[in-house]
Parts: sequence; structure tokens; C-alpha cells
Amino acid sequence: MSDMPILSLIIFAPLLGALGIALLPSSRPSLIRFAALGISLITFALSLGMLLGIRASGEEFAFSEQLAWIPSFGITYHLGVDGLSGALVVLTTLLSWICILASFGPIQTRVKEYFISFLVLETGMLGVFLALDLFLFYIFWEVVLVPMYLIIGIWGGADRIYATIKFVLYTLVGSLLMLVAILATAFSHQAATGSWAGAFDLIVLRGTVVDPTLQILGFAAFALAFAIKVPMFPFHTWLPDAHVQAPTAGSVILAGVLLKLGGYGFIRFAIPLFPDGAHLLAPLMIVLSVIAIIYGALVAIVQTDLKKLIAYSSVSHMGFVTLGIFTFNQQGVDGAILQMLNHGLITSGLFLLVGIGYERTHDREIAKMGGWASRTPVYAALFGFFLFASVGLPGLSGFAGEFLVLLGAFIANPMVAGASTFVMILAAVYLLYMYQRVFTGPLSPFLKGLGSHLTDVTPTEIMTLAPLAAMIVVFGVMPSILTSSFAQSVQMFLMSAISTVAR
Amino acid sequence: MITAETMTEIGSLPSYAPLMLLLPLIGFAVTAAVGRRLGKLAHLVPLAAIVATWGMAMSLAIPALTGGLGEAGASLPLFTWIASGDLTFGLGLHIDALTGALLLVVTTVGALVHLYSVGYMSHDDSYWRFFAYLNLFMFSMLLLVLADNLLVVFAAWELVGLSSYLLIGFWYTKSAPGLAAKKAFITNRVGDVGFALGLMGLVVVFGSLDIHTVLAGIEAGALTGPAATVIALLIFCGAVGKSAQFPLHVWLPDAMEGPTPVSALIHAATMVNAGVYLVARMSPLFASSHEAMLVVAAIGIFTAIFAASIAFTQTDIKRVLAFSTLSQLGYMFAALGVGAWIPAIFHLITHGFFKGLLFLGSGSVIHAVDGEQEMTKMGGLWRKIPITYATMLIGTVAIAGLPPLAGFWSKDEILGEAFKFGFTWVWLVGMVVAGMTAFYMFRLMGLTFWGKSRVHDESHVHESPWTMTVPLIILAVPSIAIGAALGFPFADGVLVHGLEPVFHPASALLEHEHEAWNLFGIDGLLMLASVTVASVGTVIGVRLFRSDNSELLGRVTRRLQPLYDGSRGRWYFDDLNDLIFVRFGRKVANSLWWFDRRVVDGTVNGVATLTSSGGRGLRQIQTGRVQNYALGIAFGLVAIAAAYLVIAG
Repeated sequence: MSDMPILSLIIFAPLLGALGIALLPSSRPSLIRFAALGISLITFALSLGMLLGIRASGEEFAFSEQLAWIPSFGITYHLGVDGLSGALVVLTTLLSWICILASFGPIQTRVKEYFISFLVLETGMLGVFLALDLFLFYIFWEVVLVPMYLIIGIWGGADRIYATIKFVLYTLVGSLLMLVAILATAFSHQAATGSWAGAFDLIVLRGTVVDPTLQILGFAAFALAFAIKVPMFPFHTWLPDAHVQAPTAGSVILAGVLLKLGGYGFIRFAIPLFPDGAHLLAPLMIVLSVIAIIYGALVAIVQTDLKKLIAYSSVSHMGFVTLGIFTFNQQGVDGAILQMLNHGLITSGLFLLVGIGYERTHDREIAKMGGWASRTPVYAALFGFFLFASVGLPGLSGFAGEFLVLLGAFIANPMVAGASTFVMILAAVYLLYMYQRVFTGPLSPFLKGLGSHLTDVTPTEIMTLAPLAAMIVVFGVMPSILTSSFAQSVQMFLMSAISTVAR
Repeated sequence: MITAETMTEIGSLPSYAPLMLLLPLIGFAVTAAVGRRLGKLAHLVPLAAIVATWGMAMSLAIPALTGGLGEAGASLPLFTWIASGDLTFGLGLHIDALTGALLLVVTTVGALVHLYSVGYMSHDDSYWRFFAYLNLFMFSMLLLVLADNLLVVFAAWELVGLSSYLLIGFWYTKSAPGLAAKKAFITNRVGDVGFALGLMGLVVVFGSLDIHTVLAGIEAGALTGPAATVIALLIFCGAVGKSAQFPLHVWLPDAMEGPTPVSALIHAATMVNAGVYLVARMSPLFASSHEAMLVVAAIGIFTAIFAASIAFTQTDIKRVLAFSTLSQLGYMFAALGVGAWIPAIFHLITHGFFKGLLFLGSGSVIHAVDGEQEMTKMGGLWRKIPITYATMLIGTVAIAGLPPLAGFWSKDEILGEAFKFGFTWVWLVGMVVAGMTAFYMFRLMGLTFWGKSRVHDESHVHESPWTMTVPLIILAVPSIAIGAALGFPFADGVLVHGLEPVFHPASALLEHEHEAWNLFGIDGLLMLASVTVASVGTVIGVRLFRSDNSELLGRVTRRLQPLYDGSRGRWYFDDLNDLIFVRFGRKVANSLWWFDRRVVDGTVNGVATLTSSGGRGLRQIQTGRVQNYALGIAFGLVAIAAAYLVIAG
């Protein structure tokens, strides 16, 4: 391809769009809505173009851009995309336009501010996935917080202030320690080479951190930031609160993309920078992952709020991501990445569906529901589809990732796989138990009372769900499309994850 | 131990073979999409798809069973499903005599159930949805038996579970079907955990889940000792779930909440056979572990007698048949466990036909008496619905094991081989079960068709339409004749010839010697014994239930009250499960939820409170002047860097 800075274009297109929307009059909400949708669709199209380019390239980073930024400390504006980040970028741009479309109806106040926040959020997320300079990465990482803080805090539910402050403070605690580790790494690089050149550059730093203390402390600091984001047990309690209070699109983007920032951070930054520390702490990470998988599923069983139930199912599903990563083998890592992408598709769909139901009932209390399927069969069928995808039904996309993670875990340690595989039962329990109570049986008095308000899904709502459903089927039947697209990234990761001691 | 058989060239399947999967899948997709608008014509596409599939399946199953496809069968690779590094899991089709046997039952009963449903479901508002689900099931079941890779078998295994879930819960506006569907899916998943772990074990050992690679490796002795036992038993867990063997049998009786054609197709004739198929397919793996074989035999024969004892006292016509299914599947597992591979598959075939017939017959009865399933409210129906009666009587004689109908041949072979291979205990229990089976089946016939009518309103009782009676008549033919057709001459019939190459490696591992069959020796004696117990059961059943014997029955019941209550209460296994898994499980989950809020989140909030109260103390230094903050940040960074330099020293 040409010298067109496609990565910068993708990152900053939503930001430019946000600036443009700022100039539009607040009195024209539908113009603002369609402008936001248009911008997000353009960004989506750009990212698809980028994806085609990646497939044709043989380089580690098919596209990269590097400009001097703060030369006195060797900080550069360094972007790069490979199969792994490319897939996550497309997931982000896809879910962004879906979220914007899904917000058309539900968001009726401060429309302009809402869509500006959302587009800024998109820029932040894309920046995290594309940055190869630690400082730049950190900036984008923090940028993500601000619009998310606003989205939950302004357009959220009754308890939104508690939830959003908890979300921001929790994430900040982790990321500030990460900043310290970034600085320490840069100092140590400068001390070792006598120059600041490349002191913040991931590509330069990979494999050069030899100090054992820095390996451990650096990894611990990065791991804490990412573990909070994933979230790993026991740092997960911000997630159910944030999900319950966030507006639908906020929940979708939270589950679909924000949680992946953590998983991505482990693969791209924490482990390649500090492989010794990672290996040392891997048993702990694996134990915490297994706990998250089982514990999240058990707690999900007894949830009484639909959103909370799906939030805890996310804790369980994301446990597969961290479990797969820390097996340090091909199957585990392949599975972890598949799981990130598929969780992004499936859980986003479930949150969209919960939101669609909430629009009609203004309630998420499972006990009040019952027999919903008899009123809105299409809604019930769609819910069932995403639900079985979440259960890990083979043929839909959730299966391949979970199976490969379990296989990777089995190869690493059969006992770990043995414990984790029980989630196959628990996932069926919490999801089918919920489905049975909400959708089957006689119509509940509460739903009956809603009368004609209880309508089936609208065409717009189907438009938000259809692309996800189609991808869930395609990647369920042919997951090798995905695994082959990031095969090279996994190879590079596995090489960089070899402990320097072993090297 | 690579024998001449395993070296045999694998042929290639005709290119139309994938249509057997595609047609039902298309039928499902089309009907799910537009079926609602087709109204009472919604069955056309699915029915046509299945009839065409049946034709193709027969054109491949018959040569497969008669040696036309070669001893190793024929394959057709399609595409790579999941790939990760060097590991690939491909989707391909393979048909040998074992698959042929399954195809025979699955597509024949499947096609007839589709036809039957045209009549049975004609009054249902969701007519189209029923046919969509049926086609989805056919796709899944065919994928299960055709796949040449164990991971695809597992996938199909889950998909039949989904179809079963959808069909059990078909009448979703009632409460009970939704509960039963959930119970079926979750109970199956318990077994599937084992299945999945077993597959992972096989991947680690063989680097593949391709069935031929795995079996060739096992035959070459690459998997023995405790590892073989563990992996075999893990995979057997899956079979126990799907085929509803003790202790995972609890879902099948509840699954009767589904429409009766579903009970016939999925929960009697086809899907529940999947576990038997899996163990048979992996026969060399099981044959590599004496312990695993013993467990299979024990679980099988225990389920056989356990379920038969419950069938004694049930009064719901479909429940009796459901427990009878458990019991007959138990026979098949007992056969597999003693190494009587071919009799197990033989019984699978005959049972598929006569149990399909019995279930469809029970549906015809239920249809005749306005949806009533309680046999206490039936009686004397034989005059009113003669075709149903006659065909069900054939099915009953067949399952009772009376010669020369189908069940006699396969059951006799199972019991005979169990005895000859030295499993006297299996034989002995099996004999008792044979007598019990004859008894409770004639009890069912008596309560339903004989004696005085207890029907609430007799004027409504009517014979079913032709779409329902024709499948009954067609199924009566194999129920009569397929035993002799496949199993005669003894030990030398079509089926033995066809399946022998499939099971040769496993039998070689077990070092089973096949002796000549001798009517005037041990074989004749064993046959005489099994016919005798079947006859005794029949005679007692007929005498007790031929006419109204309630006084005598009441006396017997009172004598044996605890046994009667236990049998009626299904030996309280559902209550035990409820106690352990539902109540205790919910306690565990609830206490974790408490832990999550109070301890995990409590700590987080506690730290926050501590920080904010500390913050109040530090508020004095908040001057609101940015310069001061900047100074603070600068000092902080220097301090951190200094601390680092000290630590890293």
C-alpha cells in the first residue's frame, strides 16, 4: 500500500468526527445521530481495508508509523498493526457503529455530548490497540477512561455515580502503577545503553529487560493494571456495578472491547517485556483464572438482575482468556485470542438484547419475568441464539476458543483443565436457568401488565444484532479464518514469551 | 498389532454424500425462515429433505453393511474446522458397516416420524417450528454418525443436545416442558465434561482426533494401562449422559414432556443410541482397558434392571416406555462391556425399530383419547383403535424377546455371548430383566387395550389418520422381521459379516475366540433359557392384566408396599439430585455471592473509605494551586525513580 498513514487515519477519524459533531447544533439530534453513525461506519470501512492489507503482508507489523514526539526521552509516536491487533481493531470499529446505532432510541438527553463521548472513546480504544510506544500506549489507555466515566456517569442508571467513580478509581490505581513500571523500564534502558533512544519503544525493549527485580516488579505492575481491566478475580467487583449502571451501549462496549484491553495488554506488553516475571507469576495467574472461571459462573447462577448475570458470566468467560495466555502454548494462546474476539461478539449481543428488553419493560428483575417468548417470539429466538453461543455450543463461535484454551491448559496441566472444564455444566446452568425463568412457562403478571408495550424487536434492533449473529455462525463453522489471521502474532508472542533465563 | 484388516484401503464416498447433511440443514433453515408463512404446508420442505436423505442413506448403508464399500468403509474429506499450530481438526465423512447400521435406523425412523408428525402435530399452532427442529435434529444426528473426527462427533453430540432441548421444550408456554428441557441439557453436559476431557487426553497422546489415526494408534499399542482406563472412562461419561444410563438417567423420563413423535425419534430410536455408537466406535480404546470394560458392563446391566424395576409401577404410558428405553439401552452397554460388540449394535437396530413403533403407537393412543397419558384412564381400547392395537402388540412381542420377532434375536445374542465370555453375573441379571420386560410390557398392553374401559368420554375415541397409521404399519415390518433378516443363520448372518471387520481389532485385543454356533450345545440351551424367562414374564403379565384384577393387584401391592413406593418414586433419585445439586448447589452459589459482596467488594469499598477519610486529613495541603500540584507530581516522580534505583541497586 501507499504511504497513507492508515493507522493514524483509523485512530483519529472518530476524533475528527467528534470535533465536527461539536460544531453541529444541539437542536438537531437526528442529524447528530446519523453523523455519528456515518463517522463510525467510515472508520469501520477503513479498518476493513487495513485488514485486507494485513493479510497480504509478510512483516510482523503490516503497517507501522513512527514519528519523533518527545525526542529528549526517546518517546515516539509509534503505531503498528499485526494480525492480533488488526482483529481487535475491527472488533472495536464494528461494535462502535453497532453501539451508536443501538443508542438512537435509548439516548434522548444530551444527545450531542453522548455521541462526542462515544467517538472519543473509540479513538482511545483504537489507540491502545495500535500503539507500540509505551508512553503513547499509556496516554491512550487513560484517554479511554474519561468518556467511559461520562457515559456511565451521565447516561447511566440510578446508582451511576457510585459505579462510575468505582470504575475510574479502580482502573486508575492499576494504571498509575503501570506508569511507574513504564518509567522504571525506560530508566533502566537508559542506564544500560546510556541513551534514551528507544527507551519507550516496545519493539526495542522486548527481550532487553534483564534485571530480575524489574522483571518481577514490572510484570506485577503491568499485570495489576491488566488484571483489573480483564477483570481477573479478585479485582472484578467494579464490573457488575459498572454494567448494571451503564446505558446499553456502554455495557456493550465495556464487555465487547474494554475488557479486551486487558487481555491484549498481557499479550502485547506485559509478557514480552517481562517474560521472566510472567513465568514466575504464571502459576498465580493460572490459579486466579481458574477461580474466575468457576467462581464467576457460580455467582452468576444466583443473580437476580439480568445484566448482573451477564456481567458475572463475563468474569467467567474472560477467565478463559487469561488462562489461555498463561499456558504459554500455541493452543492456549490461540484459544485466548479467539475467546477475546468471540466474547466480544457474543456478550455484546447479549447486552444488546437485555437493553432491548429493558426498553420495553424498564426492568431487569428475572423474578418478574416469565413466559416472555409467547409475546415476542423473534426476540426470544434471538436471545436463545446468543445464549447458546455463550454456552459454547459447537458450530457457533464460542466453542473453538474455549476448547482450545482447555486443550492448552490440559497440555500444560491436566488438573487445571479438569477443574475448568466443569464450567461447561455451570454455564448451561446459569444461562438455561435464566432463559427458562424469563422466556418459558406462562406469561408473568408483570409482563402481562405491560400489554401492548411488550413489542417484538424492531428492524433497527435486528440491524444491530444481525452482523454479530452472522459472524458468530461464520466463525463457529470456520474459526480457522481467525486463527490463521493471527497465527504470526501468536508465533511472535510465543517466542518473546520464552523466559530470558531459558534463553 | 496392525492386522490385514486395518491396512485395508479406505475407499472414497460418492460426491453426493454431503447432501445427507446439507438437505436437512437447508430444510431447517428454510422452514425456520419462512415456515410460519407456509401454514399447514410447512412440512413439505422438511419431509422432502428427509425422504431424499433416506434414499441416499440407504444407497450407502446397504452396501456398507453387505461389504460393498470394502472392509474399511469409504471416506470423503470436506474441510478443516479448527486449526491451531500443528493440530487440525477436520470435518470429513466416513461410512463403514457401523455407520451403515446407524444410518439404517436413524434415517428410516426419522423419515417415518416426519410423516407421522404431519398427522400428530396438525392441530398445533407451531406446526412449522416442529418440522424445523426435526430437520435440525436429523442434521445433527447424521453428522454425529458420519463424522470421521472425534471433535466433530463431539460437536454433533452437543447439537443433538440442542435439538433435544428445543423439542422437549417445544410447548414452551407450559412450565413443565421448559424445566424438562433444561434438565436434559444440563444433565447431558455433566457427561460431556468427561467426554471433552477424554478428547483432550487423546489429543495429547495422538496429536489428533481423527478417528482412524486414534484407533490405529490404539491398535498399535500406543495407549495402555491406567491412561487407557482413564481416557476410556472419561469418554464413557459422555455416553452415560447421552444414552441416559445410571446415574445420569434422570433426564430421559422427564423428556417425555416433548411431543410424542420426538420421544419416538430422539428419546428412543436414535439420539439415545449415540452413546452406544460412541463406545462401539471407540471399541479398541475400551478393549485396551479391562477395568473400563467392567465399568461399562456394570453400569449397563445395573441400568437395565434398575429401570425395569421402575417401569413396573409407572402409570403414564410414555413413562413406562421411557424406562423401558433406559433398560434396553442398558442391555446394549452390558453387551459392549462384555465385548459382545455385534450383538450390541444388533440390539440397537432392532430396538430402534420396535421402540420407535411402540412410542408412535403410544402417541396414536394419546391422540385417540384426547391427550390423556395416564393408563389408569384407558383400558379396553383395542376395539376402537385396532391398527394401533395390532401394531403395538407386535412391538410388545418384539421387545419381550419372544421368537421369531426382532427383539428375540438380538437379546438372545447379548445374553448368550455374555454367558460364553464368562460374565455369568451379566447373563443372570440380564435373564431376570428379560422376564421383567415381558411382564411390564404386557402390563402396559393390558392397562391400555384390554379389560374394561376407564376412558372418560368414549365417544371421542377414534383411530388416527393414515399419516400416523402408515408409519406404524411400516415399522411393524422390521419389528417382526429384521431380527431374522440380519441375524440368521445364527452367528453367521448379514450383520455379523458386515460388522466383523469393524470390531475385529477390539475383539483381537480382548482375545475373544469365536466358536462355531451349536444349536444342540450351549447355545441352544441358552436360547431355551431366555425364551423361557420371556414366556414366563409374558404369561404373568397377560394373566394379571388381561382383565380387571384390581383386587389381586391391590393385595400384592400392599404386601410389597415399600418396594412399590420405591419403584413408583423412581427409587428417589430425582429427590436425591434435587437435594445435592439444586439445594446444596444453590447454597454454595449463594454463599459465594455473599462472599463477593461482603468480602471481595467489601475490601475494595473499605480501602476507598479509608482513603477518603485519610484524604480529609490531607485536605490541608490541597491549596487549589496548580503550581503546587505540579511540584508535588515532580517530587513524586523523583521519589519513585529514586526508590527504584535503590531497589534495583
